[in-house]
Amino acid sequence: MRPWVSLALTGLLALPLAAQSVRGRLEGRIPSAAIPAVDSLIQFASQEGLPTEPLVQKALEGGAKHVAGPRIVAAVQLSLGQLRGARDLLVRAGDQPPVLPAELTTVAWALRRGLPEPLVERVAAALGRPPRAAAMHAVADLVAHRFDPDSAAGLIIGAVQDGVPRERLLDVSAVALQQVQRGHTHAEALATVRRQLPNLPAPSKPTRGTVAGARRPAPPAPP
Amino acid sequence: MSVIDPRIHQVLDGELAPEAVPAELRRAVAQLVAAADLVAAPPSGPAASLESRVMAEIRRPTPTRARRVLRWLVTPHAIILRVRPAWSVAFAAVVAALTLFTTGQEGPELAEHEGIAQFVGRFPEAQSVHAVGTFNDWRPGSIALEDQDHDGVWRATVVLPAGTYEYMFVVDGERWVPDHLAERLVADNFGRENSIVIVRAARR
Repeated sequence: MRPWVSLALTGLLALPLAAQSVRGRLEGRIPSAAIPAVDSLIQFASQEGLPTEPLVQKALEGGAKHVAGPRIVAAVQLSLGQLRGARDLLVRAGDQPPVLPAELTTVAWALRRGLPEPLVERVAAALGRPPRAAAMHAVADLVAHRFDPDSAAGLIIGAVQDGVPRERLLDVSAVALQQVQRGHTHAEALATVRRQLPNLPAPSKPTRGTVAGARRPAPPAPP
Repeated sequence: MSVIDPRIHQVLDGELAPEAVPAELRRAVAQLVAAADLVAAPPSGPAASLESRVMAEIRRPTPTRARRVLRWLVTPHAIILRVRPAWSVAFAAVVAALTLFTTGQEGPELAEHEGIAQFVGRFPEAQSVHAVGTFNDWRPGSIALEDQDHDGVWRATVVLPAGTYEYMFVVDGERWVPDHLAERLVADNFGRENSIVIVRAARR
C-alpha cells in the first residue's frame, strides 16, 4: 500500500474517533441540543488545521456558566472566527502554513486582550520564530497599564534583539510596571528598563513554604 | 658535726703558708681548693644551650589567632563522653519525631514543565470558593480555596502545568466572579470577563 493511501485511511479513521471523544467530553456538560452544532464547528476547525481545544473549552465554559445552548454555539463560532483571524495574521506576519496551534492560541489571546491587530502583527513579524506567547502577554500587560502600544511593543521587540531570553520577557514588562508603581512616568519607566537591558533582576521563584503548601488539583468529580 | 682545723682556715685565707701545716692538713686544703674551683667555674656547655633555647622560645613572636586555632584543630584531643542511657534514648526519640514530622511537608515534587499558581480572593460572607477554568475543564470542585483563619480571604496554592489559563471563582457553588486581584482579564465571549493566570515553570 502506498504511504499516502495509508495516511488518508488513518485520517479517515481518526477523524470520527476524535469527534467521538469530543462529543464524549461535551455530553452532560452542555445542553444536548447544542452538541451537534458545536461538534460541527469543532470539526471545521480540525479540517482547517486549527486547534480544537480552545473551542471545546469555550463550550465547556458556557455549560459550566449555565449559558443557553444557542449562546454557547455563538461563542464557539466567535472563537473559531478568532482562531481563523489569528491564522491569517500570522501568515501575513511571515509564518508558513500550517501555523503552530500554540501560536494561533497566543495571537487569539492577544487580540482578545485588546491589542490592535496591526500591533500584534508587528510583534509577530519582528519576533519571527515561535514561541511568542511571553512577548504577546508582556506587550498586553504594558498596554493594559496604559503604556503607549507602539512604545510597549518597541520595548519587548528591543529586549529580544538585545538577547533577553523569550521566557523572561514577562520580567521585562514586570520591571516597567514596578517603575510606574514607584511613581515614575510611563516614559521614564520605559527608559529605565531600556538602560538595564539585557540585564534583568533575577525572577522571583516560589519559596519553599509556598511549594510546601501547594497541592495538585483534585481529580474532577464524575458528571 | 665535724670541726675543721683552724690552721686550714688560715691557709685558705692566706694567713698561713701551706708548707707550714702538716702533710695531712695540706691534702685537706688541696681538696677544699679543688672543690671551691669547681663551684666557681662557669656553667658547662649543656646548661648554656638550655638557656639559649629558653630565651629563643621567649623571643619568638606570638602566633596569630588563626594559627592557634589551626594548631588546636590539628592537635589530637582526648574527649571524655559520659552518656546516660535514658537521655540518649530521649534524644533519639526527638530526632525520629522531627524526621517523621517534617516528612511530607516538603510539598509536591515539581516536574520540569510544572509551576505554582496562587489564587486569592476576598469573599467575607462566602461558605465555599472554587477556582474553575481551563485548567480543570471548567468543572467546579477540583480546586477549593480555603479561609483557614476566617478573615474572609480565601486562598489556594496549586501545581499546574506551565501555560496560560482562563478562570473565574465560583462562590457558594453558584456565583461566578472574576478574580479582582488578577491583572489580566479577557472577554469570555459570553458578555463577561475571565481572569488569566500565566503559570511559569518553576525550574527555569
